[in-house]
Amino acid sequence: MGLLSSPFAKKTNSVTRMMLWVIGATVPGLLVMIYFFGFGVLINLLIACATALVTEAFVLKLRQRPIVPILWDGSALVTAWLLALALPPLLPWWMTVLGTSFAIIFAKHVYGGLGNNIFNPAMVGYVLLLISFPLEMTTWLPPQSLAENPVGLIEAVSIIFTGAASNEATIDMLKQGVDGYTMATPLDHIKTELAQGYRIPEAETAPIIKGLSGAGWQWVNLAFLAGGLALMFKKVIGWQIPIAVLLGMGLVSLPLFFANSDYYLFPMFHGFAGATMLGAFFIATDPVTASTTPKGRWIFGLGIGAITVLIRTFGGYPDAIAFAVLLMNMAVPMIDYYTKPRTYGHADKKHKAGGGAK
Amino acid sequence: MEHSNPTPKSRASEIPIYEIPGGIHPEEHKTRSNQADIRSLPLADELVINLKGQAGNRSLPVVKAGDTVLKGQVIAECDGIFSAYQHAPTSGEVIAIENRTIAHPSGLDDLCVVLKPDGKDQWCELSPVTHLEDMDREAVLAQIFEKGVVGLGGASFPSHIKLKQHEGIHTLIINAAECEPYITCDDKLLQEHTKDVLLGAEIISKLYQDIDIIIGIEDNKPQAIDAIKQARQELGLSNIKLGVVPTKYPSGGEKQLIQLLTGKEVPHGKLPADLGLVMHNVGTCYAIQQALTEGKPLVERLVTLTGDNCKEPGNYWIPFGTPVEHLIQATNSETPKRLIMGGPMMGYELPSAEVGIVKATNCIIMSADGELGMDQTALPCIRCGACMDACPASLLPQQLYWHAQADEFDKAEEYDLFDCIECGACAYVCPSHIPLVQHYRYAKSTIRNNRVEKIKAEKARERYEARQERLERVKREKAERHRKAAEARKKAAEEAGKKDPKKAAVQAALARVKAKKEAQQSDTNEADQSKADDNNSEGNN
Repeated sequence: MGLLSSPFAKKTNSVTRMMLWVIGATVPGLLVMIYFFGFGVLINLLIACATALVTEAFVLKLRQRPIVPILWDGSALVTAWLLALALPPLLPWWMTVLGTSFAIIFAKHVYGGLGNNIFNPAMVGYVLLLISFPLEMTTWLPPQSLAENPVGLIEAVSIIFTGAASNEATIDMLKQGVDGYTMATPLDHIKTELAQGYRIPEAETAPIIKGLSGAGWQWVNLAFLAGGLALMFKKVIGWQIPIAVLLGMGLVSLPLFFANSDYYLFPMFHGFAGATMLGAFFIATDPVTASTTPKGRWIFGLGIGAITVLIRTFGGYPDAIAFAVLLMNMAVPMIDYYTKPRTYGHADKKHKAGGGAK
Repeated sequence: MEHSNPTPKSRASEIPIYEIPGGIHPEEHKTRSNQADIRSLPLADELVINLKGQAGNRSLPVVKAGDTVLKGQVIAECDGIFSAYQHAPTSGEVIAIENRTIAHPSGLDDLCVVLKPDGKDQWCELSPVTHLEDMDREAVLAQIFEKGVVGLGGASFPSHIKLKQHEGIHTLIINAAECEPYITCDDKLLQEHTKDVLLGAEIISKLYQDIDIIIGIEDNKPQAIDAIKQARQELGLSNIKLGVVPTKYPSGGEKQLIQLLTGKEVPHGKLPADLGLVMHNVGTCYAIQQALTEGKPLVERLVTLTGDNCKEPGNYWIPFGTPVEHLIQATNSETPKRLIMGGPMMGYELPSAEVGIVKATNCIIMSADGELGMDQTALPCIRCGACMDACPASLLPQQLYWHAQADEFDKAEEYDLFDCIECGACAYVCPSHIPLVQHYRYAKSTIRNNRVEKIKAEKARERYEARQERLERVKREKAERHRKAAEARKKAAEEAGKKDPKKAAVQAALARVKAKKEAQQSDTNEADQSKADDNNSEGNN
């Protein structure tokens, strides 16, 4: 429909602008990741973006939709961007291509395109890769400061595209830390140590554990937190969901920590480890797949936070933002249905006969 | 209803102000038209007075082409109580009573009185009220009725009807919020005719045994607020309180202003009167004061002329029926890109510049290219919920849109579609540029039409069933009659046979004729009746 009736006044905002703000706000986090994990991060990002744009254009053509205006809305780019930020830095190029194109085709367009998908496309792509290639997807480089052999641009390109390093250094060597151990993420490290019978205070003596969470990782999370806060203040995202995610993590991890700090991590560690801040501010806030009622936003966020800590603590995966987001995505239609706000002039839902029941 | 806690928002407010959910802060564009003093424009060559210029029934013209009329003379009477008198906006000659394009988004024609001004602008004899204090309620209402006063806030609801109910009313709210961008006529009226407006409010208050008056006004009108305070002091009016509300659209919506000033919500399906409240617009107060103390009927109103293409923006006294085209020329304005009657949020685009100003016209926006309503292509809804955060009725606009565009009207109603006040806040904030209100209007009108259709279908079905039943009955009766006639015949023949064979033969023949006649007659009756019935059902369809 064209504009036939009021209102004629229009706020100067647009989906494109929102998407570009989201991308812009990830830049501090991106730069910190490049600093700690090398150029592989940037290469992943470029591969994912190119794949997303090509796939989106291809599917739009198949679906006989206008290509340029929809490409321009920026949503495909955001999907690729967020997925790439979640990928390990030296992932083989075709895995990135596979994950991104799967996200665009199956998580987005199969459901009817932007606005109609139930699941967060970036997280669908991520989970596909995680369960298909668990080894590659959990192999992170050590932060550059701890790496025995820091990865340069040439090496990163070579490894990602050919699977072999350019010089005599093997990939396994690159993955080794100064102490000769293969480096994992801090969350991975804790999980492995606990499985081997160590306690958390012992596990935390490793060089990779540092400050709020782990070397490098605390800075990555702080940078995403800064970008996320900027989005919040620019009102590109609501404040409810990110706060609820962090609150949900705290509500589950704090009692556990007090119950037994030998086996359960301090809430601050959860908050600044892994993909927490990226998830809370950039992934959980995806408007399409999040709950859209005032109360629903809180339930949605709290659920993501709680599930993440539960899986990290009791499940088989070191990090769980993606699973938590997808699980809560699934619950959104029900959450939205039961959290309809009270309309002006209507009695409270509780008093309304059959208000929620169908 | 829940009572939210009062939050002192502005120091200038004399009563506690409550919160309303949602709302937006569009660019105000008010300084453009509120700088200059109120002015008048030269008369137009022709006034086109729309007889359907109020809510309710079309007024019935009492003049005919060729009549000369004086300013203020009645030119059309009420058609029943739910209608309004219309008076000649100036002196001159009635040159036609014919269908003209009226101020309505549809661009439909309707009956208009076309008046050619003689330029003298000569008033008829006015009958001001001399002893207002001595008048009883009915007399005051009669005067308001006869002077053609309708609500000037936008809906043009006949004021005498709104004022009629007086049981349990304890507070009069004067709506001076004027929250729509661009419009400044209430603001200017309050600044320049403060006392008249306050006295008008007092007249209304007296109708309810001196109830309290709250003037609800947005805090972006400091001059009007000061003017009210001063006039109130000079007139010694102690029952008027100022409720200064934060500037936020749509604080001037009736339901929203009530919530802001009292913390109460008008229950679904009820009226403000059920809360003991009655609300009138600033312009209506002024019109009522003029009708009583000056005896002047409502023949003109203050209209904001504004927009980027309006070269002399400001507030003008415009006689009703003045064609918008004349306003464009008289202010040396450029041809507007979009011509809006009302504000940019709830007004409508005029189908032509020839339409005349009506009692509801508070503003004409002569917009420049790109100023209003950039025709952006609507993108898919991304369910960001910005609309929900902006909705003053706490609806879920994204769900309403989802169901409205899928023609799932029962679902849309489940999400309280009919509680939408069409303020446009949702569409204003939508990053996908979806004309949300348009979808809601479509859904609402389709649902209303469906309801009417359903009632019609129900009636048609009842009629059909009644007819079927009657035809059955007639058939049964006819069979019964035939049976009886045959019996009678048989009996007569038998009886005759007993007495005299010859006479019996004659008797039998007579009986046959009689039976035949009877049968014929009942056939004709039936035919007539079913024919009448067919006509009837056609007429109803």
